[in-house]
Amino acid sequence: MNEEKKIRVLIAKPGLDGHDRGAKVIALGLRDEGMETIYTGLRQTPETIVQSAIQEDVDVIGLSCLSGAHKYLFPRVVELLKEQEIADILVIGGGIIPKEDIPFLKEKGISEIFVQGTMVGEIADYIREHVRTVGHQSAANS
Amino acid sequence: MSNNIQKIKKKKQEWEEKVLKPALESFGLKESPTKFYTPIDAQGFDFLSKVGFPGEYPFTAGIYAAQPGMPVPRVGRATTQRRSRPEAARLVRAAGYSGYGTAEDTRDYYKELQERGDRGGPNLAFDLPTQCGYDSDNPLIRGDVGKVGVTVDTLRDFEIIYEPFQGETELDRIASNFTINAPANIIIAMYFALAEKRGIPLEKLRATPQNDILKEFVARGTYIFPPGPSMRMFRDSLVFLNEYCPRINITSAGGYHIRGAGATREQDLAFSMAILIAYLQEGVNAGLDVDSFAPRFTINQFGGSMEMFKEIAFHRASRRMYARIVKEKFGAKNERSMLLRGGRMGAHIGCENTTIQRPLNNLTRSVIGAVASALSGGEGTAYPPYDEPLVMGRGLESSQLARDATRIVHYEAKLGTVRDPLAGSYYVESLTDEIEEAAWKELDKIEAMGGAVAAIENGYMQREVAKSAHARQRRIESGEDLMVGVNCFVGEHELELEINHLVPPVYDPVRREQAEEKQIRNLTELKKNRDNRAVAKLLKELKDKANKEDENLIPHFIECAKAYVSEQEMCDVLREVFGEYEPVSL
Repeated sequence: MNEEKKIRVLIAKPGLDGHDRGAKVIALGLRDEGMETIYTGLRQTPETIVQSAIQEDVDVIGLSCLSGAHKYLFPRVVELLKEQEIADILVIGGGIIPKEDIPFLKEKGISEIFVQGTMVGEIADYIREHVRTVGHQSAANS
Repeated sequence: MSNNIQKIKKKKQEWEEKVLKPALESFGLKESPTKFYTPIDAQGFDFLSKVGFPGEYPFTAGIYAAQPGMPVPRVGRATTQRRSRPEAARLVRAAGYSGYGTAEDTRDYYKELQERGDRGGPNLAFDLPTQCGYDSDNPLIRGDVGKVGVTVDTLRDFEIIYEPFQGETELDRIASNFTINAPANIIIAMYFALAEKRGIPLEKLRATPQNDILKEFVARGTYIFPPGPSMRMFRDSLVFLNEYCPRINITSAGGYHIRGAGATREQDLAFSMAILIAYLQEGVNAGLDVDSFAPRFTINQFGGSMEMFKEIAFHRASRRMYARIVKEKFGAKNERSMLLRGGRMGAHIGCENTTIQRPLNNLTRSVIGAVASALSGGEGTAYPPYDEPLVMGRGLESSQLARDATRIVHYEAKLGTVRDPLAGSYYVESLTDEIEEAAWKELDKIEAMGGAVAAIENGYMQREVAKSAHARQRRIESGEDLMVGVNCFVGEHELELEINHLVPPVYDPVRREQAEEKQIRNLTELKKNRDNRAVAKLLKELKDKANKEDENLIPHFIECAKAYVSEQEMCDVLREVFGEYEPVSL
């Protein structure tokens, strides 16, 4: 029997951007990759995203934004996680993110940014490699 | 005729056996990688009923008898005549989709355009808070103010945006476009209030609001109210514009957002037609004759993919299908009602097919779209500019290249000189039939559910589009669908070409960054200084009126606008009465 707990991913749309093809495709694609995915739907605030992440006990938050508001919204999610002293959730992002913004976002604690043309398989590999398994178990026991 | 078909069938069999098969064997292939179409594939093709003449039912060959196409260019060096002005009284069309930051930022941008000789009316892109019915000072929407368009909270913003449009470009001499859907009636009302203050009668205004709310539930996502009350808002605009504003288009609907969200070609066509049917029905239900309002339905864009012939056939099928619907289903008599009007762009590649990898390839892609456009009845438009996936606010270089590509297709390749040049092609006619038939089948399914509104309320359209997007991604990942530089030809000896911008971005990045803080200050100031007692009274009246299903709310929105009631204040009242849309789960 495979006792391994599936990796849980919250795919979230912060801000008002309604372009969610990417978010949905990744939510469905990571499911194909054997992960459990939850899609928040549109128009989430950083606060509701962090709340859902805690409630759903996820290992990963994937943020998607195509409106140009990523420089405020993505770091805000990381900040809120820090405020709640949550260190075991991997935060990744995607959307229309200009190349010059990526170093800034990484500095702010977003682990990786995946732009258009990324294969879902690559994202899945990245998650499997970087998901904080130790924290993951303790979260499951809490 | 059928005798002839028999002969061709026999000949085809012989060809397959004696010519094709040995050729395939020599390549080691079981199936032919190429197809060949013959009269067998276009049996029963009847020119008059399936194609007809341009500008005549069923409009397959084009909605107009002749297409003036692009203006005759001024020949000679750029410096000689660039600023020569057309005659003053000429109507000036809306400019390119534009707007960012605060009203002041957008005003200054339009001033710059005018200084460069551009006299187009505003084609306003609104920021997401405006599109979703939120004011700039709402803490829940931080980060989005002034990003994808200009922010509009009150009439004050309209007054500022339109400062450069006076005299020669007064409101009755320009056309404006508003990309606005859920709060379209409020934004139109602000424009009416501005016109009233300037003493311009409503019947002289020219504008096109997007006003296509149903597709927002399926793609793009700027909905506010549930589909039912949203349709009441649509009805209000249709009835009001029909009565008072003969030069304002009622809607600029179209399926390209739905395609962009992942829909297949057939879903795009069927869903858009179902949505248009719902809008037409709304007018009929309001007691209007379809011919009184349908001529002012316009089309934004349809379609979008790299498969050139299929997109050409798709546009031919769209024109024919819409004409059939308006004529047969709604009993229209006026041919103008039956035109899928306004889709000047014709076929195109769709923004979702541009790539961030080796972005100059997008220029090649958009030129294929421009050829498709010209062959499908469009203007040979190369769209989008190659830097579409890279930036928000396209570069001037890429816009220049897109315009030049369009010009080259038109003036050098002369693709605009024949109307519907692929009419009668066995391949294209059979494709056109195939696409239309598949769309009818899907449309019948939606109609059986109760139409577009029902198929959105039950989540059918949303789920089908997500499924198709997922399927496409799987095909890309498996290599079944190829994208150059993305999932193929990415070896180490390929050059990852980068691009440079020679000209600074069209929108001032510093102003864009500061817009949110600035607008919050502006709005706070305005809310402090207006007559807040009048505002409260107007909002209370709005609630009473909104509760009466038959009441047309637009006149009251105009009163609210004049008193500087903000967009969110009006929307909040409506949220209370109408409720808010709850999206369906995946």
